[in-house]
Amino acid sequence: MEDKRGNKLVEFSLDHPKLVTGLMVLVTLIMAAFAAVPSIWPEKFPSLNSIKIDTDPENMLRKDEPVRVFHDKMKKVMSIHDIVVLGVVNEKNPKGVFNIKSLKNIYELTQYAKKLDGVIEVDLIAPSTVDNIEQGGLGTVKFEWLMPQPPKTEKDAIAVRDKAKRIPFLYGTLVSEDGRAICLYIPIRSKNISYKIYSQLMKKIDTLKGNDKYYITGLPVAEDTFGVEMFRQMAISAPTAMIIIFLLLMYFFRKFALVISPMIVAMVSAIMTMSLLIIMGKTVHIMSSMIPIFIMPIAVLDSIHILSEFFDRYQETKDRRSTAINVMNTLFTPMLYTSLTTAAGFASLALTPIPPVQVFGLFVAFGVMMAWIWTVTFIPASVMFIPPKSLENYGAKAASQEGEEESDHSPLTVLLNRIGQFTYHRAGLIMVVVALLVVIAIYGITKININDNPTKWFTKSHPIRVADFVLNKHFGGTYMAYLLLEPPKQKFYPEKYADELIRETKNLPIAKTVAKKLKEVARSAKTKADFLEQCRKYASEQTDNAPDNLFDAWSSFADLIDAEKQKTEIFKHPKALKYIELLQKELLKTGIVGKSNSVVDIVKTVHRELFLGKQKYFTIPKTPNAVAQCLITFQGGHRPNDLWHFVTPNYRKGNIWVQLKSGDNKDMVAVANTIDKFMKKNPPPFNLQHKWFGLTYINVIWQGKMVTGMLQAFLGSFLVVLLMMTLLFRSAIWGLLSMIPLTVTIGAIYGIIGLVGKDYDMPIAVLSSLSLGLAVDYAIHFLARSRMLYAIHKTWANTAGPVFGEPARAITRNVIVVGVGFLPLVLAPLVPYKTVGIFISSILITAGVGTLLILPAMITLLEKYVFPKTKPCCMVCDFATMAVAIISAVAVVAVNTHQFLAIGWNILVPYSVSIIVVLLIIAFIASRNEQCKWVNENSQTEETQ
Amino acid sequence: MRTLIYALFISAILVSSVSAGQQKMTAQQIVEKANYVSYYQGKDGRAEVSMVITDSQGRKRHRKFIIIRRDDQPTPEDIKKNPALKKNLDLFCKEQQFYVYFLRPADVAKMVFMVWKHLNKDDDRWLYLPALDLVKRIAATDKRTSFVGSDFFYEDVSGRNINLDKHEIVKITKNYYVLKHTPKDPKTVEFSYYITWIHRQTFIPVRVEYFDKAGKKYREYSALKVDKIQGYDTVTKSQMADLRTGGKTVLSYASVKYNIGLPRKIFTERYLRKPPMKYLRK
Repeated sequence: MEDKRGNKLVEFSLDHPKLVTGLMVLVTLIMAAFAAVPSIWPEKFPSLNSIKIDTDPENMLRKDEPVRVFHDKMKKVMSIHDIVVLGVVNEKNPKGVFNIKSLKNIYELTQYAKKLDGVIEVDLIAPSTVDNIEQGGLGTVKFEWLMPQPPKTEKDAIAVRDKAKRIPFLYGTLVSEDGRAICLYIPIRSKNISYKIYSQLMKKIDTLKGNDKYYITGLPVAEDTFGVEMFRQMAISAPTAMIIIFLLLMYFFRKFALVISPMIVAMVSAIMTMSLLIIMGKTVHIMSSMIPIFIMPIAVLDSIHILSEFFDRYQETKDRRSTAINVMNTLFTPMLYTSLTTAAGFASLALTPIPPVQVFGLFVAFGVMMAWIWTVTFIPASVMFIPPKSLENYGAKAASQEGEEESDHSPLTVLLNRIGQFTYHRAGLIMVVVALLVVIAIYGITKININDNPTKWFTKSHPIRVADFVLNKHFGGTYMAYLLLEPPKQKFYPEKYADELIRETKNLPIAKTVAKKLKEVARSAKTKADFLEQCRKYASEQTDNAPDNLFDAWSSFADLIDAEKQKTEIFKHPKALKYIELLQKELLKTGIVGKSNSVVDIVKTVHRELFLGKQKYFTIPKTPNAVAQCLITFQGGHRPNDLWHFVTPNYRKGNIWVQLKSGDNKDMVAVANTIDKFMKKNPPPFNLQHKWFGLTYINVIWQGKMVTGMLQAFLGSFLVVLLMMTLLFRSAIWGLLSMIPLTVTIGAIYGIIGLVGKDYDMPIAVLSSLSLGLAVDYAIHFLARSRMLYAIHKTWANTAGPVFGEPARAITRNVIVVGVGFLPLVLAPLVPYKTVGIFISSILITAGVGTLLILPAMITLLEKYVFPKTKPCCMVCDFATMAVAIISAVAVVAVNTHQFLAIGWNILVPYSVSIIVVLLIIAFIASRNEQCKWVNENSQTEETQ
Repeated sequence: MRTLIYALFISAILVSSVSAGQQKMTAQQIVEKANYVSYYQGKDGRAEVSMVITDSQGRKRHRKFIIIRRDDQPTPEDIKKNPALKKNLDLFCKEQQFYVYFLRPADVAKMVFMVWKHLNKDDDRWLYLPALDLVKRIAATDKRTSFVGSDFFYEDVSGRNINLDKHEIVKITKNYYVLKHTPKDPKTVEFSYYITWIHRQTFIPVRVEYFDKAGKKYREYSALKVDKIQGYDTVTKSQMADLRTGGKTVLSYASVKYNIGLPRKIFTERYLRKPPMKYLRK
């Protein structure tokens, strides 16, 4: 199992410690400089990439992802902006905020918000910026600002509320349904200034007097604020974890000079990776910000094995160099393979369809390999810096107590020794318990709830979470999604259409001229809209220049063209509006949607006010013309353009503004499903098609991608690791064995997630790959060392003891150091960091326990298969191993093909199965080859000794 | 159209040297004259107006309507008060009536908007919606709302009462009087002031810029084309741009005719349902 090249590398490092250290420092400094300098002075180095920070979850999807393209396009078409929601609540006053003082504050705040850079003033919704339409005396309809000035009397203050209550567009949106609170909706030019706007508003709020409470929320604020706090958090939690790991290492190994070196390796690996990330122009995203936190535990993992071995063995020779060589001889191969498998596990994230996750996976993989390089070079080199004198008593206390390894009395050694015996004598019991746990875990997994909500990335006490809770209690909902309706695109036949129009105009005195023109237009027009626009221009010119005797004829032609155009204006048609009305009712029934707004609300309100404000006229008028005339009346107000948030000017697209009380993806999915079902059951007029957009909906899409993407990426990396393990141990059973702790760990953790009801969200999805990386490490170390020791001790009964000596100690120390080191993350105010903290710790503990209990128990039970008396001369002769390798290799290729080339499983499965069958037959024939000799195990091991 | 305005500039330059010796006009006098030129030329008038509303995305909406206007004529009492009226009755700026008859889009055809413009009280405004067979009065408390969804306000169509603002001359250029107008009651309007560029020769306001409470320009009117019709300098194309929304509205006037002899009675509620086609047709 030992690697001669490895020896050379280690010996070189031991002989040239200064050179190795200098090289490491130099490379790190150069990389850091290339990343830092252009970030600090971007204008001086325009050709180099500076740090780019991106906190937008939208970027979880590729820029050209259809849902994003549609979202961006519709935002523009419907002039919809990202919104900062600012709620004002007064719990003290029985009339809520509808009192002189509060309304004055709200007025002042509105005036302030209007002036902020990046705020789109014309679309701001506040009492002083929206229109009220009402009766203004007998037979008079009145448009006025809802609150042109702060009211002077308490009666006027209440009037603001009562007026708003009559306007469906405002009630439940601007004024709360309980009539006590007001919400301002502040549209902003770009989502990534929302934290700035948030802070500016907060500052202004501090200057306002009174007992009003102010709450700011909305997805853009949550997302942007998360980004800001994320960096703050990164600066606190990564160093904290490092300090705790350092203290624990000090406790175990006592020698500062030795303990500091793993910390240096971890830091160097993290710095190099992050620098490379910046140098390559990748953005620092929520995901990539976690790269250092992932690299650090993995980087110290291998070093702890070395230190642990060094600590246990130093007293044998009391020579730095020979101890280091000995230690590295034992550990070089397992370390190489653990690093390779971990890197492969993370690199497989490149298979997910989520760009930030791809970047994350590849860069963590890079960091892991960096950590490996510096672990096998710098750690031995660092040993040479320590004067032999100061090492004189290193590990002596432990060594003197044990004398022989078996008679160690330190609590850890005693405990491990007992565990070792337990696994040997109670192997059956352990396996029964494991089987039980697996069943429970499977049950838990079926209970898993896939859900995410960026607002819930904050802890419950965070102002944004509090605001979210309070405002969604008072109002229709602060999460916006938009339901767009439009007719399907129909093929247009210009000639046919021209003939139709020619027939309609044949009685006009200008029929011949018109027919000629129509045919001409038919040749150039591509769409109906284009056709009609050309005709409109022509008709308008002709009418203006018509001689008196033909004026009427040209006018009627112009009228005809105009009427034709209006036929295409679907969303003036009462039938279409009625359907929107039904959809809005259906949305409310879900209980998740608190409120929805559409053109229907405008039409009905105007219609009612035109008819003396009587409630029985709160209806959709009967003809398209009547609808059009209600709308033109509405456009006589202060905010005529509000209409274009709900319909396009050609009335071909209708938009329902949906306010959800919850931003949970599962709730958005439930709403979307309700509408799908409803529309299937109640076919819409004009064959209307529907599509969702808006931030709340986009989050659903990337969540979906994340879940399936992560699952496939995980499957891919699982197979890669299995293949690598099988090849490394040149044995199917060993390959499968090494996957067991990892499988149990993931099963257990997902099972627990399902059982406690924690949502399966982005951080958890990513953590699966971390568990793959860490759990397989322990298994490799355990199995590789077991194999080596078995070669010496010949039976498992004799091997188990030594395995539970120094190798088990190294694993246990690892679990404790890294596991405890990440617990402080639990104190973070951001939920994803808490999740990472809890889960890194639980992954390590589960994987550690799994490795130390399940593996020895299984080896005990399966000894004769695990350590067969005979071994094939080469792997080709071992059919079982070949079979596992073939199946996993083909499966890896299939999973990758599916991801990259988007080939469906229905094609891939039959192909893969047939390829596997063919290869298996070949392997079977090969294994029966006469040259295949099964040799005695002993002669094999002697060879490698 | 640009060339026409340019031609106006040239003639103004030529004339300005002559008029330089004339007595200086006060801001009030300039505003009164500009107000007359903009809204009171002739005893009455008619025009066919094409309205093109373009939003920031370049999407266009077209409207077409006929607008007729009639001015009240001075009573003997008025003439006694202001003897200058004897020479030119045209200079009388008092009560007016407007009747706007919609032709297109087809679904609002026959819709009528009527205004009685008063000098000392709020205007009277009516709307006739044929599809609902409904005549509605529109409260005139706030005239700075959109005119049928365009970037023009009702007040831009019928003219803002010049007594509502304080006027001052900012500067006099070769061609223009540049005036600043500040509202007497700032609470009733959305602007903090506006600047007009009044052509010194014709007294046509060529450009009007509106500034918000933060001192930022947010709205801009420009006269794009001026024609001489029946001896009157007439703006036949104008534009209002909303700098905040990025939208703009262009009005083009065709078949403009002055002094038709419109009777007072057609500007009454009775004629909303029965449009006086005789006077509306050209």
